[in-house]
Amino acid sequence: MSTTQALLALILLASLLLQAFLPARRLVVVTAGAGLAALASALLGTATAPQLLADVPWDVIVILVTLGLLSQLFVESRVFGVLALWATRWSRAQPRRVLLLFTVGMYVVSGLVNNLTALLLVLPILLILFKLLGVRQRYVSWTLALVLVACNLGGAATPIGDFPAILLLGRGAMSFDAYLVRAAPATLVALGVLLTLAMILVRPGRQLHEHPVSARLTLATMGALYRNVRVEKSRLLPPAAFLGAMLVAWVVVPLESGVTADLVAWLGTAAALVAVGSLGERIVRTQVDVEATLFLLSLFIMVGAVKRSGLFTEVARWLQGLPIPPLAQLCVFLVAAGLLTGIFSAGPSMAALLEVAERLAQQHPPEAVYVGLALSVCAGSSLFLTAATSGPLAQALTERADLRSPSGEVLRFGFLDFLPVGVMSFCVIQCVALAWGIWAS
Amino acid sequence: MSTLPEGLHQAFIVAVGELGMACAASLFVESVAQEDGTDGVAALRDALGRSFPVLDAVAEQWLAGARALRTDPTAILAACEGASELVVVGLEAFFLDALMARLPPRTRCALLCHSPFDVDWERVLSNYSGRISPVNLESFQSWAGPRSVLLTFAYGVGGSSTHVLPAWVRATGEDVRMQFRSLLAWNVLQAPMFVYPRWLVEVDAASFTHVFQA
Repeated sequence: MSTTQALLALILLASLLLQAFLPARRLVVVTAGAGLAALASALLGTATAPQLLADVPWDVIVILVTLGLLSQLFVESRVFGVLALWATRWSRAQPRRVLLLFTVGMYVVSGLVNNLTALLLVLPILLILFKLLGVRQRYVSWTLALVLVACNLGGAATPIGDFPAILLLGRGAMSFDAYLVRAAPATLVALGVLLTLAMILVRPGRQLHEHPVSARLTLATMGALYRNVRVEKSRLLPPAAFLGAMLVAWVVVPLESGVTADLVAWLGTAAALVAVGSLGERIVRTQVDVEATLFLLSLFIMVGAVKRSGLFTEVARWLQGLPIPPLAQLCVFLVAAGLLTGIFSAGPSMAALLEVAERLAQQHPPEAVYVGLALSVCAGSSLFLTAATSGPLAQALTERADLRSPSGEVLRFGFLDFLPVGVMSFCVIQCVALAWGIWAS
Repeated sequence: MSTLPEGLHQAFIVAVGELGMACAASLFVESVAQEDGTDGVAALRDALGRSFPVLDAVAEQWLAGARALRTDPTAILAACEGASELVVVGLEAFFLDALMARLPPRTRCALLCHSPFDVDWERVLSNYSGRISPVNLESFQSWAGPRSVLLTFAYGVGGSSTHVLPAWVRATGEDVRMQFRSLLAWNVLQAPMFVYPRWLVEVDAASFTHVFQA
């Protein structure tokens, strides 16, 4: 490793570690890191700042921003509140059913909207249900943790659910339908295994005494809170119609036509925003996720600087030079991806590891590498509460809700409360990723 | 003998923030009564009555034979005749539902988003399909005028006094009172409260233009 490579890698690693340990300062940390990486790159003659900026995959950022805006249009239609009420009714306010329905519901929702939006929509309703049902620590820990893992799995199930898959789509590594038909069944298998293990072995609700008065009060109160809330069709139809059109375009329109995935997202979202009139303007002005955009832009610059130094190529060569069969090399790569994601979180890991994955994809079937990588990143995101941005958000929302057990003890949802579910989820999803990689090779 | 589940205090606070004290109390009393009958309502009153005096009063009225809340808004509508703006201080959801269903569309309506409880105001307002605008203590005076009405919910009238939410006292200083055409109170309880009126403040009933009995 040359001095240039070591210095640029050090800036990247230091920034990633610092942002992981100081989540409250993560935006300042990564933007400062990106500035330093650009400076070091220029002084060491690797690349100028304009060259690094030109290397940024703007198409990925366009997809992220536009899908975020489309998510907000769905939020404004109130469709998720109505769905939550239905889920509560279907659950008959039984804790076991609440866990199952909200976990599966989160999987579905996060496949369509980004994870943070999905969490902000679903979690407050779940916390209200906890208060109405009168739950205990064990149930809270397992339910919230499984919902978070389902959020990660749903994000990995579709090419538009979360950043790793969007990166694959945006870079043209995999087409929309090619990713969907492979990743969705794999994530469903992982979710099924996790829920089966949780419901049969762990049984989070076993200490709860289901009381008919509790169930009746829960259903009556939820019904009253949403008594007149209706889906606003005029707000739901435009984003639904244009999302449908975008899905068709992603599947049908060939990349060679020049109509790329980001362009489809851009045009589809713009049309949906125009269709809802002044609401569209308000959403564009106020709802762009600047934090996520700036965070990813900074990451891309730091990763781009390291890439220009040739380090990723050398790592890929080293991996391919390991004295083990090629399939074992792929397995090593996938497990390393999972563990690195657990420490650095999904965005940084995926941005850096994709460079290595592209080399491996020359040796293995691309779908084995890319889908395996997306699943491994999902496994890593589920390992620790801090590994995905949705974790700290769930922690903050739970603290703010001031949840209490029926006997009055404060109910927490912190790092250690999540850990048992995180370890179990990591093992299950990583096994699915490895099985997928081996099977598809 | 009825045994209610533990943790009802927390559950009631969820309901009281977004439905109002009387409406949440009525909902809980009705639900418990459907499962456990009179014994259940008495147990509910014992469990939560001291913390929530409005629930105590509603449960007592239920045990005395009263059933559904009386939410007929006819008298309030008459008092709002000709008003162009109506600002509501405090929340009693089922009463407000009944009022909004019959309030002429030309009357703009606002709700003061201020509560001692944790409230998702967006969810509260989404039940009114955009007919009610949110206002806060700093901004609600922009709704004042010679055709503007201030309305709050009162909890029992005993002698010359009644009880209201503290937000009413904060909102209706001497400077504000003169800016509105009338200050109305909609008494949602059939009888005065029996236990100490926690969460509420006592005000002179004569300080309102009218106090209407539900």
